[in-house]
Amino acid sequence: MSRVGVDIGGTFTDVVWMDSSGDIHFDKAFSTPNFLYKGVMEGVGYLVERGRNPQEWLKEIDRFAHGTTASTNALIERKGAKVGLVTTRGFEDTLIIGRATVARTGGLPLHQAMDFIYTEPPTPLVPRELVRGVNERVTADGRVLVAPDPSDVKTLLTQLLEMGIESLAVVLLWSFRNSAHEQLVRDIAKELSPTLHVSLSSVIAPHIGEFERMVTTVANAYVAPISRQYLDRLGTSLSSTGFRKTLHVMTATGGTILPADVENMAVSLINSGPVGGLIAARHLGESLGWNNLITVDMGGTSFDVGVIANGRFEIEESPFLAHGLPSKLPAVKIVTIGAGGGSIAWTDGHRLYVGPESAGSEPGPACYGRGGTQPTVTDALVVMGILHPQRFFSGRCELDSVAALSAIDKFVAAPLGLDVHEAADGIYKVVTSKMADLIRKASVEQGNDPRNFRLCAYGGAAGAHAALLMEQLGIPAVIIPYAASVFSALGISLSDILYSASKSFPLTVAPTDSFSSSVKEAFEDLTSQVQLNIADSGIELSNFVFAYELDVRYKGQINSVRVNWNRPSLAVEEIPQLRLAFHNLYERRFGKGSTHENAGLELIGFRLYALSPQPKPGLQHVDFPSELLKTESRQVFSREHGWMPARVISFDSLPAEQALLGPAIIERRDTTVWTPAGFSAMRDTFGNIILSRQGAQYED
Amino acid sequence: MKIDPITFEVLKHRLWQINDEQAIAIKTISASPIVVEGNDFNVGIFTSDGRLVTSGFGSTVHVGTMGTAIQGIMLNAGAIRQGDIWLTNDPFLGALHQNDVVVASPLYLEDELVLWTANVLHHPDVGGIDEGSFCINARNLYQEPPRYLMKIVDQGEWSPGAERTFVTNSRLPDSVSLDLRAQVASINVAQIRLIELIQEVGWPTIQTVMEESISVAEAQLRDRLRTIPDGVFTGTAYMDGDRVGSERVSKVTVTLTKTGDNLHFDYTGSDPQVDAAVNCTEAACWAGTAVPIYSFIYGGEIDWNDSLRNCVSMTSPPGTVVNASFPAPVSISTVGFRWLVTVAACQAVAKMLAASPEFRDRACMSWNVSSHCINLFAEVVGKRVGALLSDHRAGGAAARPFADGLSFAGNVTSFSSSMGNIEDTEWKLPVVYLFRRQLADSGGAGRWRGGLTAESALMPYEVDSIIYKVTNTAGTDQTNALGLWGGYPGAGSQTTVVRNSSVYEHINRGGIPMDMSDWGGELVSLPSKADGILKRGDILHFYPPGGGGWGDPLDREEILVAEDVKGGRVSHSMAAKLYGVNLDSTGKPDPEKTLHMRETARRERGTASEATWPLNDRYHTLTGTEDSVSISVGAYGEVTNSGLLSCARCGTAWFGNESARIILASGPLSLAGPWRAVRWGGNSQRFSLFMVSCPGCHTLIHVEERLTAEVGHGQTHTEKFN
Repeated sequence: MSRVGVDIGGTFTDVVWMDSSGDIHFDKAFSTPNFLYKGVMEGVGYLVERGRNPQEWLKEIDRFAHGTTASTNALIERKGAKVGLVTTRGFEDTLIIGRATVARTGGLPLHQAMDFIYTEPPTPLVPRELVRGVNERVTADGRVLVAPDPSDVKTLLTQLLEMGIESLAVVLLWSFRNSAHEQLVRDIAKELSPTLHVSLSSVIAPHIGEFERMVTTVANAYVAPISRQYLDRLGTSLSSTGFRKTLHVMTATGGTILPADVENMAVSLINSGPVGGLIAARHLGESLGWNNLITVDMGGTSFDVGVIANGRFEIEESPFLAHGLPSKLPAVKIVTIGAGGGSIAWTDGHRLYVGPESAGSEPGPACYGRGGTQPTVTDALVVMGILHPQRFFSGRCELDSVAALSAIDKFVAAPLGLDVHEAADGIYKVVTSKMADLIRKASVEQGNDPRNFRLCAYGGAAGAHAALLMEQLGIPAVIIPYAASVFSALGISLSDILYSASKSFPLTVAPTDSFSSSVKEAFEDLTSQVQLNIADSGIELSNFVFAYELDVRYKGQINSVRVNWNRPSLAVEEIPQLRLAFHNLYERRFGKGSTHENAGLELIGFRLYALSPQPKPGLQHVDFPSELLKTESRQVFSREHGWMPARVISFDSLPAEQALLGPAIIERRDTTVWTPAGFSAMRDTFGNIILSRQGAQYED
Repeated sequence: MKIDPITFEVLKHRLWQINDEQAIAIKTISASPIVVEGNDFNVGIFTSDGRLVTSGFGSTVHVGTMGTAIQGIMLNAGAIRQGDIWLTNDPFLGALHQNDVVVASPLYLEDELVLWTANVLHHPDVGGIDEGSFCINARNLYQEPPRYLMKIVDQGEWSPGAERTFVTNSRLPDSVSLDLRAQVASINVAQIRLIELIQEVGWPTIQTVMEESISVAEAQLRDRLRTIPDGVFTGTAYMDGDRVGSERVSKVTVTLTKTGDNLHFDYTGSDPQVDAAVNCTEAACWAGTAVPIYSFIYGGEIDWNDSLRNCVSMTSPPGTVVNASFPAPVSISTVGFRWLVTVAACQAVAKMLAASPEFRDRACMSWNVSSHCINLFAEVVGKRVGALLSDHRAGGAAARPFADGLSFAGNVTSFSSSMGNIEDTEWKLPVVYLFRRQLADSGGAGRWRGGLTAESALMPYEVDSIIYKVTNTAGTDQTNALGLWGGYPGAGSQTTVVRNSSVYEHINRGGIPMDMSDWGGELVSLPSKADGILKRGDILHFYPPGGGGWGDPLDREEILVAEDVKGGRVSHSMAAKLYGVNLDSTGKPDPEKTLHMRETARRERGTASEATWPLNDRYHTLTGTEDSVSISVGAYGEVTNSGLLSCARCGTAWFGNESARIILASGPLSLAGPWRAVRWGGNSQRFSLFMVSCPGCHTLIHVEERLTAEVGHGQTHTEKFN
């Protein structure tokens, strides 16, 4: 099987081709923000095997999987469709009221959220004049209190259509209990305008909580037309170039879907790219026998952390699509802070701060010589000797170490009365400890102890910080994967087809037949929904594996715990089993004594996953020399040791399976790996670099 | 021991992270929307003597109380041992009010107590005469919820008797039981991690980091305070109605003196304590005072800790509503006079910041000035259900010197206190909401408009009756939602019950009526503290306050007024009346007519009588400025070193010499718009709107609400309004 993965980023479009023998080929093309598919096609062009006709080559590709930013960009830049919103009368202002602070401070970095006076709500996705209330009401038990009058619905839809809406979102109260009214609105809308895109909240996000359901549904209506159009164009380009299979599209849920699914799942494309990195990490971990991995993606401006516990991703129930836009579409959990090579160091004369401001790539760190004057983390690494000015980015960009030194001296060292090199190491240590604290937070939030995890570090800045992170967190080993620079694209190419359906409504756990039948009904509902997707996909039903989950909480609690449930039913006599599973998870998260024997349980969510696993190749060996070819030495500064000589080895000169003792630096084309004294680095035969503490045994 | 700034930064952040883990545990385990959505909790790490080092980013009002409670525990608990976890909700030991339960535990190294960890959380019911424990019917402390000081965990072992005592006194035992578990679990989380950290780097280093966390934040705060001109700034907040059956008016008044890098808040002049649960203790007064300083001056840049105590002092006279003496009832404190302490302190701090070129943007006069809390309780299939609604967090904030006020702003005590979804409330309580929508004209008019509030209406569903308990902090006669520099006050807050409405007749005909005028029945506007029963067919309608405006509304750009009208934020008639903007039938402003209307409005201002400067705020204690140099005090006024305050537009002197004058007008509160003093048809018998304008250019420079017909102290209305 031969497969291609493509991930569009802000600057680069990463492309990966895994050929039928499992060898990995990768490259990068510049992203083309206004015509994203052009960058994709250009990148794909780079992959074509030397001497081959592109058409012939593409014909042999079995799978083309794609992570696109088309939906994310449309949302962030507010370039989506003109959406009309129909909701229950009396609740037309739900989006702008936004549950008070949620729509205003939700999704902001903490330091911004805490600056009370400057927290502005973002521009709403639907202006108030395009919101219409329909005279209808369903109550909490799903019963109809007021039925809508079809002629009223027709009148208000006609008004919206006359105002030029391109897409319609329908979000009625309690529609996830009774969707008849939403369906009526859709049917009338389709009568009036058969081609109009319609997103129903009972389909897009059938969960309790009207604000988040509305955000999710409106966001879907907002990005669906543009996402669909983009994928159509890309599909056409690919097939006219010879590709014969169906395009697969990455979602934030952790799998891929087909372009035909996008109508009702467009919102799940938002923020999907980084999930690819977790899929690649999980694959790598499975191949190496590592079940517990924390992934960190370190770039110039942001630091992303994901957790894979027992081979499973952590899931966020209400992830923010963007500032002020919380969704009800569970996504693979990735937490982020603004910390990276471009983070600016500064002081108020009392404290040393790193970030949250970033110099980005323009003007960039002082050492880039592009007009940046403020010192950044990259400048600190240059001053410390970890980065070599001539070898940064494979020598494609020479760094100005004098500029780095003077920036740190002027803005940090002098005001704080520190030596400039000490200040540089201080910047490095402060930013790394922030990263470590985020990793800790991401793990403990789900009840995981980071010491039971290994770190999978990728992104350009990964190598410089990995050893220190390991030390601060008590993590036994770090792996810096071979394809680290295109890790998300690699993961996308490896991702499985995944349909998920979920619904939420509170259901008190009780030993009654009506409880059991409610659970059964909920899962039957989800099953039939997913079966529709499967039927449309053209993939045999037998290729899918089904998994079930229940969200359980103590009655009255707000937060819930996800319990794996291996069947789509829950008989009365299985309640003790559910209780036990819940208590075990709960204690793992909150410690002994946190559970409560007498408190009642409540189910709040039902989830079904249908996974069609894609064949995965084993890791392939990468060529390496049999003995260490060439080493040099350079001085590296740290506060503990002062200046110390470190061996410097280029990745290509490094033999496999030989421990390289720190202090040492490995220069690979995508990252520079710093191995301090007391640590050792090893390149495995697959081209991964593994850092561990000297003398320790870390094999499973 | 000396510590370098790098080690300090790294370890300080680690302490913060550990403390945050405490918060994560609470938020995840708690059963209470008050915690998870309202953010009404906080966590902290303290020195051995109870000084706060690291605070969580929960409610800023709790930042100042946990340490006082720890000190209260130390004074009263007797022997304290490793592994003990103490609980207190006693307002006379430092808790804000009985619902706010502080849980604290010492950490020992060998035999030495080295630090404390603590958290505080608002429990939804801890007993007392009224459901929800805001005891609007209490006249003394003994009708209120029990006050505890208990060892809940004794050297690592749960004390079942103590736990049972606490839980069994609550009307919502399941909920408080989970919340208590959350508090204890989170203490354990923090202590385990602190011990690891101490083992890793050694206690002397951690101790130094803890001490320096306070002293570095103090230095940062002092840096900020020094850039702000010295002066004297005042704030006053009223409460009309302090318990069921009492319409007494009481006030809190504060004088903030800013000198160099110190602040002093003096509450002399506040009214005597009352026989109602709205009083606050001295500890709560302190906590309320600290709020605007943490929220607006510390922000996200300086660590919230006891550095504040080193730069800020307070005088609060014993026996008053802001320092009630034992055994005064205090169970409503946090949404009673503690809340109003914050409102008054916000006004004084806003005036101070408005005079600061560097920090002027942060001048915000009001931010949800009345916590309009409604507790509902009912029996559903033989089981008691009850909860505090979250709609009170929709209140607006005052306009800012650079932009409109934030609408649906949550609370000034927490950047993330949010409202719940209607569906969650309808799942929990037997009610159906008729609507929740923005309230037009609820933002105070101004050059920058105040933030809007939202109005809601609900009715009982599938039950015969629901008990309601209304605790509307500020009252219904006046708003407290003041603006600055000519901005009008925002909407007040009001609950109305509609008895025997025709809502079911409408429903049977196929519609839910959206306007009060369609509801029929009998409208009863409730006083600020009220209780009663909703029956089938009754409707409860309510809204929290809006935010005040900034600057003269006649200065507002016409296009902004037009957009407000289009967006339903300002009505067509108020656009004309308050802003002097004429909009044509398509909603476009007519520049000529507008100019004419605005000129007329200014001329009318000039017909009121001249008077001397009526305010006690003094901007004249500037230091280091030449007398000839004047500084701007909020865009409209300028002041010189000798205290001459004059108009920045026309130079007319308002205060500071013989000829200085202003124009003073007064009238009913409805001059500020609808939704003010609604219970009195917009014309409160006890409060009037005072409007100060410049005699030279007729610019409106100050608007406030003043007590006109004071109901004497101790005198109460006995008539029932429900």
